[in-house]
Amino acid sequence: MAEGYRGMKKQRFVLLKKDPALFSTLVIIWVLFGIFIFLPVFRLLLAAFVVDGKPSFANLAAVMKTSYNIRALYGSLLLATTVGISGTVLGYIFALAVTRTTLPRWGKNILSAITILPLISPPFTSSISLTLALGPNGMLLQLFGIENFTIYGFWGTWLSETLTYFPIAFMVIEAILNTMSANLDDAALSLGSTKWRLFRTVTVPLSLPGIANSFLLVFGASLADFATPLILGGHSFPVLPTEAYLLITGLFDLKGGASLSFLLLVPALIVFLMQRLVLGRKSFVSVTGKSGARTVFSGLPVSLSVIIGIVCTIVSAFVIYLYAIILWGSFVKVWSVNNTFTWEHYAYVFQHGKKAILDTLAIALVSTVLGSILGIVIGYVTQRKTFPGKRFFEFGSLLNYALPGTVVGIAYIIAFNQRPLLLTGTMTILVAAYVFRYYATGIRAVSASLEQIDPALEEASLSLGAGSVRTFTHVTIPLIMPAVLSGTRYLFIHCMTAISATIFLVSVHWTLLTTRILESMTELQFSQASAFSIVLILIVFAGDAIMRGLIKLSSMKFHQSVREVAHHE
Amino acid sequence: MKKKMFVMVCVLSCLVLASAFSSGAKEPTVAGTVGGTVNVYSIMPEKYATKVFEAFTADTGIKVNFVRLSSGEALARLIAEKGNPQVDCLWGGPSDTYEAGVLEGVFATYVPAEADKVPAKYRSAQGYWTGIGIIPLCFLTNDDFLAKNGLKAPTSWYDLLDPAYRNGLQMADARTSGTATERIYTLVKIMGEDEAFAYQKKLNSNVQLYTKSGAGGAMPIATGQAASGVFYIVDALDIQQQGYPLTVSYPVEGVTYGVEAAGIINGAKNLEAAKTLMDWAASKRLGEVMVADSINYIPTRPDVKVTNPALDMTQVNLIEAEAEWKGEKRAEYVNRWVAEVIQQ
Repeated sequence: MAEGYRGMKKQRFVLLKKDPALFSTLVIIWVLFGIFIFLPVFRLLLAAFVVDGKPSFANLAAVMKTSYNIRALYGSLLLATTVGISGTVLGYIFALAVTRTTLPRWGKNILSAITILPLISPPFTSSISLTLALGPNGMLLQLFGIENFTIYGFWGTWLSETLTYFPIAFMVIEAILNTMSANLDDAALSLGSTKWRLFRTVTVPLSLPGIANSFLLVFGASLADFATPLILGGHSFPVLPTEAYLLITGLFDLKGGASLSFLLLVPALIVFLMQRLVLGRKSFVSVTGKSGARTVFSGLPVSLSVIIGIVCTIVSAFVIYLYAIILWGSFVKVWSVNNTFTWEHYAYVFQHGKKAILDTLAIALVSTVLGSILGIVIGYVTQRKTFPGKRFFEFGSLLNYALPGTVVGIAYIIAFNQRPLLLTGTMTILVAAYVFRYYATGIRAVSASLEQIDPALEEASLSLGAGSVRTFTHVTIPLIMPAVLSGTRYLFIHCMTAISATIFLVSVHWTLLTTRILESMTELQFSQASAFSIVLILIVFAGDAIMRGLIKLSSMKFHQSVREVAHHE
Repeated sequence: MKKKMFVMVCVLSCLVLASAFSSGAKEPTVAGTVGGTVNVYSIMPEKYATKVFEAFTADTGIKVNFVRLSSGEALARLIAEKGNPQVDCLWGGPSDTYEAGVLEGVFATYVPAEADKVPAKYRSAQGYWTGIGIIPLCFLTNDDFLAKNGLKAPTSWYDLLDPAYRNGLQMADARTSGTATERIYTLVKIMGEDEAFAYQKKLNSNVQLYTKSGAGGAMPIATGQAASGVFYIVDALDIQQQGYPLTVSYPVEGVTYGVEAAGIINGAKNLEAAKTLMDWAASKRLGEVMVADSINYIPTRPDVKVTNPALDMTQVNLIEAEAEWKGEKRAEYVNRWVAEVIQQ
């Protein structure tokens, strides 16, 4: 024991001496984790698993006694797995369409824009237009003469979550497919490979880090989502986050709800470990210093292009249709009864929603900047550096992402409602909740992108006398910039649109657009909610357009810096 | 140069912590001023609360900061914030939410100046909360559905068992909604416990969806996705007044009603302002404001004249159900509802 401790101490000492920048970075990040991740979770653990001062599983046993909650555990696993698979497949198809087909530029732009529509609207908005289309007496059902289709249950929830979360997979995989070296395509084809064989044995295997990371992200997002099942799950298909939310807000059973949520950590941990096992030993390096002149990617086999074309068209048409309902709803006097055109809902939004709009923007901007920086640093140290406790560090960083948002929200109130950490009612608590939850995408995008990049590039820089910090800022960052920006995009979008944790964190001083939309929904002001949603979507689109411009710029720079490094080598 | 990454992370953490402490420290000074403002969690919908609080500010000069939350979210927050309450009052929401909060020690006692003018059944015996409006249950049915099926609006609980309503009812989920538990209280008062749950089991086959909020089913019924449902009158009238083809009706067997309340939070930082708000809530003024702005609660003060005929309760069979009994039975009924009705 003492031996091991001394050993660890020695290791730390070596780290401090060898790489002081890494050491101090780690210390600071550990402190931040301690405050904003472990403290709230620990306080919640105390609430859930300590009864009368003794550790006990009594709370968990009590909620697991009902077979309904066991069904909920099963439902959560089934839903998250199927959504993880379908979301990743759909994301991959869209990413291929954008990066590997001969689709004209504007077509690709439209596809990219469509993929972010579901992301940039709060989940309940699309759920509600989905019920209008496919619910009882739904417009689409009447159009096709389908009867006896029930949207409430597994299929409706699955459909809605797949449409909501495939853009995450798209973003991660698109970045990977873009940064892959086209020289491999040339090599394979010139060696006589068919396009199918190239696709199967080069493109897909090399994109495995992206596939695995996006599965992890989509699985996690679906596992923690409570809003979609709340609207579409019905009573026949319970899932854990929704049941936990119902326990906390419906039966005022905070302890039961908290212990139920901790059950969700088990599948999250398993997927995390599986991903490590799958990816751990293989090399996915395709960006090295030894590349020649940049060439274009080879196209896809014709049959695959046709399938991609059909899938993208159907999904895009459906997504556009869902959002057309919302757009139309925002301009009519009384939804479906008095369809005269009016601006009054927008007037209301700008008159009564101004504070919410400005608050949301301020919070999202601060969170995006802080979250991106943290995401880069954490993604980099976990991928490139070795240090004691690395696996725990990596999993710890994703803890808030894996827990249902409502539970994180409650944990934050409990942990930050006393001095010296009195944060309730402040902007900081909202920013922290967003940063330590949604920087996950940034971390995953960065580490997936680093998997592709040969460490030899960095080693070359080090051996030429640049320090670890200079190497990081001048070699690594330019190389991973496309991935960083796609993580940043997602972070910004989520900070603008997420609702789960913040439902418990908005205060009389800080309100958010999403809670205003939910409020309009519960007040049955469908048109008002639609107008709020459209305004939100336009703001996010604008912010996103700026970020996409940056990605394009950095993508050009990326290929330039690869060439430069290669040249120097 | 060497320390760039270090400096970056340093700046980052300083930013986070500095903003944490500076904004955290600001709170008490704001809260210290007496009379100027009162902070409120409102369960009453935002559009109503805005009008009510505007009138209150006009009358007293006290500014109201509020966030709208559902009753479950509001209580969960009040319990979690107990050590350091963020608000001074809870406004609106059913009295059983207040009774549950009393058990958690969330509320302080205060008897408003004119509380004796409010009938005793509309306020807490110990002075923890005071009723600001009452809302009976009712049926809300889509006119097009009725015309298509040649039916009249339901006037009995047993009308809802008609096969014409198969897969056509939307009503609230007992785990999240006070409207749903009110429905169970009514049925138990009318039929007795066992018969009430047997009835709901049968009713379940006509139910399309149990919505999470009490008013959640109103829009689907208005747009024809569903046929009918059980609601508090305030939600039913609200959507009907928007112009949808809907009929509001009451069952002959009767309905219980919810008492919407208000109360002061234990440890309120703006106590004097909170007391002023409670005095105002128990006065005739609140009732008059609600009538004038067509906020569809029936005022708890019998001396306020109601003008909307839909709120005229002389033709409705109102059943009494005591708040203490509701509070006592709530968890038991909800669990039984989950076990017997939705899980069958």
